[in-house]
Amino acid sequence: MREVSWVPLGRVRFGKALELQRRLHHLRRYGKVPDLVLSLEHDPVITLGRSADPRHILGDPTALVASGVEVVEVERGGDVSYHGPGQLVLYPILDLRGFARSIKWYIWALEEVMLRVVASYGIRAGRLPGRPGIWVGKRKLGAIGVYVRSWVTMHGLALNVSPQLEHFRWIVPCGIHGAEVTSIAALLGREVPLEEVDERARDAFAHVFGVRVAPTDVEVVTE
Amino acid sequence: MVIRKEVALADIVVPPLGEVEEVRVVRWLHEVGDEVQAGEAVAEVESQKATFVIEAPVAGKLFAILVPEGKAAAPGEVIGKILEREGER
Repeated sequence: MREVSWVPLGRVRFGKALELQRRLHHLRRYGKVPDLVLSLEHDPVITLGRSADPRHILGDPTALVASGVEVVEVERGGDVSYHGPGQLVLYPILDLRGFARSIKWYIWALEEVMLRVVASYGIRAGRLPGRPGIWVGKRKLGAIGVYVRSWVTMHGLALNVSPQLEHFRWIVPCGIHGAEVTSIAALLGREVPLEEVDERARDAFAHVFGVRVAPTDVEVVTE
Repeated sequence: MVIRKEVALADIVVPPLGEVEEVRVVRWLHEVGDEVQAGEAVAEVESQKATFVIEAPVAGKLFAILVPEGKAAAPGEVIGKILEREGER
């Protein structure tokens, strides 16, 4: 069975994780590292995708930066996103030629991973046509934004485990006015440890992608 | 005597992306006239939450941009042309 390295990074600043992703993406394109998934959470950050409208940042950018929130432009698809502590972020760096040469399948698979994780907590989430991510009613529970070059992926998904939901008020999520977000903790009415969700995400990823997932240190991957 | 030199134009095509019917060209990474290497990223297209990089099929000069930034294209569609560098085919 194909193996995917699962690399836990803990809490990482967005810029630092982006640098690592770009390096690993490059190495993956040249077959120098195996398929892998970076699993982490970010310090508070607002990211702008390729088709982002800067007006979708609602907070005063100067005030945001002063309070330690990073604002970063990235190469993934999509509009404006917020990431922060309490969100499980997965950045799969996969050569899709080993799975399916299909962007649609890949996005479906990432959604499926999140749907399985939340279902294990008894949460019934679903997909909305034309709006990648997972949703509970009209509230977004998990987001997706990917970048593919030579069929090698980077960026990925962000699942709201127990983030501070008020931080999302700094942006217009996905450029959709009035769109609301929710989290596993908010839906269950209790705290959920990120490590536990990471473990379940590992199992769900193995199942959906049909791989064996091997926890690996980042040093081992980049050696 | 007229000496006619063969010039070859290579198509920059949106590849089949798997059940994606339409993409939007979000960014051209070069201007017409720029030299590009084979395999170099020349454009980015987007379908919903996915950005896909289009690479130059051959080395040469970016000769034409047929689908500008912000416009839609379908997989299989030619979005630009590269004037091939001689002797590189």
